[in-house]
Amino acid sequence: MLAEESIALIKEKAAKYPERKSAILPALTVAYRQVGHLNDELYSEISEIIRVPAVEIAEAATFYTMFPKHPVGKYLIQVCHNISCALLGADSLIGYLEEKLEIKKGETTSDNLFTLVTVECLGSCCTAPMMQINQDYYENLTRERVDEILEELRTRA
Amino acid sequence: MAEAVTKKAPSNKATVTLTIDGRSVTVDKGTTVLEAARSLGIHVPTFCWHPKLKSVGSCRMCYVEIEKMPKLQVSCATEAMDGMVVATDSDLVKQGRRAVIEFILMNHPLDCPTCDQGGECQLQDLTFAHAIDDSRFAFQKERFVEDGSVSTFDDVQIGPEIMLNRNRCIQCYKCVRANKEAFGEFDLGAFERGNITEINAAPGRQVDNPFSGNLAEICPVGALTGMDWRYKIRVWLTKTVSSICPFTASGVNTLMYMDETKNRIYRTTSRRNDEIDDGWLSNVSRYAYQVVHADDRLLTPFIRRDGKQVEATWDEALDLIAKRLSDIQDQKGCVCIGGLVSPRLDNATLYGFNKLMRHVIGTNNVDYRTEYRMLPQTPEDHYQAACSQPIRISDVDDSDVIVVFGSDMLKEHPNLYLRIRKAFNFGAARIFILNPYSTKASDVAELEMVYHAGMDEVALGAVCLTAVEKGIVSSDETDRLREAIAFDSASAAALACGLEPDHLELMARAMAEARKVTFLAGEIISRSREREPIAAAICNLNRLFSINTKGQFGILPGHSNSRGAHHLGLAPDPPASIKAKLRSLWGQYPDTETNTTDSMMVQMRKEEIDGLIIMGANPVMLYPDRAFARESLEKLDFLVVSDLFETETTELADVVLPLSSWAEYTGDYVNLEGRVQTASKAIHPIGDSRPGYAIVEAIADRLENTLYTAEDYRRDEIDTMLEVDTACPVPNLYVPSKGGQDEDDAEYPIALMIGDDPHHRGHYTEKSASLTSHVGEAYLELSPDLAAGHEIKEGDSVRIESPVGKVVLPARISEHIRNDIVFVPRNFPSAPVTSLLMRKRRIDRVRISKVVR
Repeated sequence: MLAEESIALIKEKAAKYPERKSAILPALTVAYRQVGHLNDELYSEISEIIRVPAVEIAEAATFYTMFPKHPVGKYLIQVCHNISCALLGADSLIGYLEEKLEIKKGETTSDNLFTLVTVECLGSCCTAPMMQINQDYYENLTRERVDEILEELRTRA
Repeated sequence: MAEAVTKKAPSNKATVTLTIDGRSVTVDKGTTVLEAARSLGIHVPTFCWHPKLKSVGSCRMCYVEIEKMPKLQVSCATEAMDGMVVATDSDLVKQGRRAVIEFILMNHPLDCPTCDQGGECQLQDLTFAHAIDDSRFAFQKERFVEDGSVSTFDDVQIGPEIMLNRNRCIQCYKCVRANKEAFGEFDLGAFERGNITEINAAPGRQVDNPFSGNLAEICPVGALTGMDWRYKIRVWLTKTVSSICPFTASGVNTLMYMDETKNRIYRTTSRRNDEIDDGWLSNVSRYAYQVVHADDRLLTPFIRRDGKQVEATWDEALDLIAKRLSDIQDQKGCVCIGGLVSPRLDNATLYGFNKLMRHVIGTNNVDYRTEYRMLPQTPEDHYQAACSQPIRISDVDDSDVIVVFGSDMLKEHPNLYLRIRKAFNFGAARIFILNPYSTKASDVAELEMVYHAGMDEVALGAVCLTAVEKGIVSSDETDRLREAIAFDSASAAALACGLEPDHLELMARAMAEARKVTFLAGEIISRSREREPIAAAICNLNRLFSINTKGQFGILPGHSNSRGAHHLGLAPDPPASIKAKLRSLWGQYPDTETNTTDSMMVQMRKEEIDGLIIMGANPVMLYPDRAFARESLEKLDFLVVSDLFETETTELADVVLPLSSWAEYTGDYVNLEGRVQTASKAIHPIGDSRPGYAIVEAIADRLENTLYTAEDYRRDEIDTMLEVDTACPVPNLYVPSKGGQDEDDAEYPIALMIGDDPHHRGHYTEKSASLTSHVGEAYLELSPDLAAGHEIKEGDSVRIESPVGKVVLPARISEHIRNDIVFVPRNFPSAPVTSLLMRKRRIDRVRISKVVR
């Protein structure tokens, strides 16, 4: 359920666009920030607010891997698996993360701390392989670097 | 309602000249390279391109090489330019196509032996034509695995008639694009991206819109297949026959796929005709063929013996008909015989029926409008004039103002509904809708004006008066306009109808300033008891705004051959020009009293009409006063009914004759434009049924009066009747409004609208399993507020009561409908909704209550 403030914020953002469809991504962002993930219920709520068919909102939401569609842990680890990262070992990195976190791709650790997903290119090919955790980029990754990052995040939590 | 969008009017036709494969071609500016090549007969292969949709260039199959361009270009999304030099078959192009196919096949299951698209699969054909037999993608394919509930092929049913297999999908998006762009429907989407992109139903929905059958047809591969056809027969074992849709007045062109050895039709697809249908079929047109093979078709004649209908031979039936008709003629005179015929039958049947009744028997008791409420002996000059105006479906496309009045386009004329959407999405049209309830076309309308039920001619008169008062058009007949609607000012009339005067002014200005106007009125007008004042208001509006000189206007006929029935003189009192033609063909024309369906029924009650022949019509179910129709027909001494099925009307008959459907003989039909089209014979008649024309000719023979001396004469006579002078004069009389109210009682506060469901037309479509899988029973459509007021929830049983009848139906709550009106479909015999109607009411009124168990 969208909060009053979120609905107000979506309306405010939607008012800026001459085409109603243009408000889809800003509206999804507001919903994601409030709820932590997206789902069908939110698509229909947004559909009512910005008056765009729910299916078009669902299409946009599912196109962007950056929006999780299920509840996620405190840290959402998004590993790029596109060409540059793949050439520099993204696959083995994903395997290492799975082993280390004892979860499969798409799953969340039992302590609800980490969720591991793979995503399409995040536009940081020059520092491949890379991943994004919540809003931050972690680049030029190695297994050692991954160990450090996970340790740091665990301490911070 | 659509937001105001500024659109460019179509520019003047500039042309460009380019060279394709060494041949020069000149095309309109804006044409794509692909279309330019096709205009030369050069076939460029495509998957995602569709002639009636915007190009997206997603499949890359249409690669061509263009000089001075560094890479291969997708020809469907590249505009032809002056001086371009294009190669469609160079080595580079071949290499490109090969790569595209290899890429498309990367995740394709190659399950051709078990795929129902095999034999008509574009991917199969283009792989055969362009690809090599090997792939470099040696890894595990992405696979969408279903839980096995439907089949082991990862199929998933996403709608009543649509099966989806996402593994076979090549992401051309044609289905999603057609659904959104052409049909304005949002029950199908493309989700995710990359390797795992999937087409699927919208969250929580089914793909069940009234055009959904097209999605399986346009899918180039086996990703979307139609439930009615899949795994029943392979396409190469069928033969195709050209036909037309018998349920739409547009006369949508179709292809029937049939197997001669089994005498069976397996499916219908579009036979694209850009002047009519753009290649889209409504589900009604697509699944109508199932009516032909319904289990309960009448297979032999029946004769009533000792009160029971028993099987008989054609000879027995025809002899009895001849004897009884002759007896009535001899004892009481030919005026005691009447005939009612369905305007869905072909020209030969209708003309033969007319000749049988008027020439052989000599009566003027003939009518084809058995579903419309009618005042006895109304001259109906305006109505006939407005119904016979020349309309061109394709002229809707470039109209800049389109007005829909008294018509639920989606339900009545699905292909015109699509044209209107097209004029909005692809053209520059401003659309105005004036209706007693909100309809599906409202999302493309600039203004949808909903007036109080029964105020039709006042609403239209108010538009005219607004235009005159504001000086938008000039007229010296202002007082007569005011008199006709019985209001002193436009704003007073508008407010009485529940309309905003400003809105009427906006619409009037748009019509006055437009370059080309299309004004279409429909069934809501035709079904009204007071058609004449409404038709007069339409004619007046046309005159004031000169619509017919800069566009087109008219009341659209409701059935597939209504226009033919009119031209062939099946109206009780046809226009003088038609009578004159009939007189010269037959050497005589009866001068007896003319009777409409309604006045015939009045005479049956007085036992002034004793014998009646009904062909293809079901007045007991569809006449808008069921009890009245039934009681009238029960009074008859002798009733002959010819139909495909046992109906409420055949039950009363003394002789029942099995009628062949449109698919069982070749027949011509006149569509709403006046276009004569042929539906070819697809299969032999089912059982012992006979085509309508053969039945009327056999009856005439038994009456010792052969209708035609040779086959040719039938055709010649019909051709003479169909040579129609298109310039039909529009009368300019003012017919006073009869007012919107009946002697009303507060007991029945809600207006009742009866019409067709979007998935049904009339009384046959209920026999099509694919149509009833979409909508299988009647319902009561009502607004959320009205429902809340009666504590009614979706699906609750609701009792609907009128002064004469009572029906219980499940509730369907719709945002589209106003609080003082409810809608009920008339297509289901199990819900006799016409029993709620009274023949003499202007507006049908009911009250509703929740059924408490």
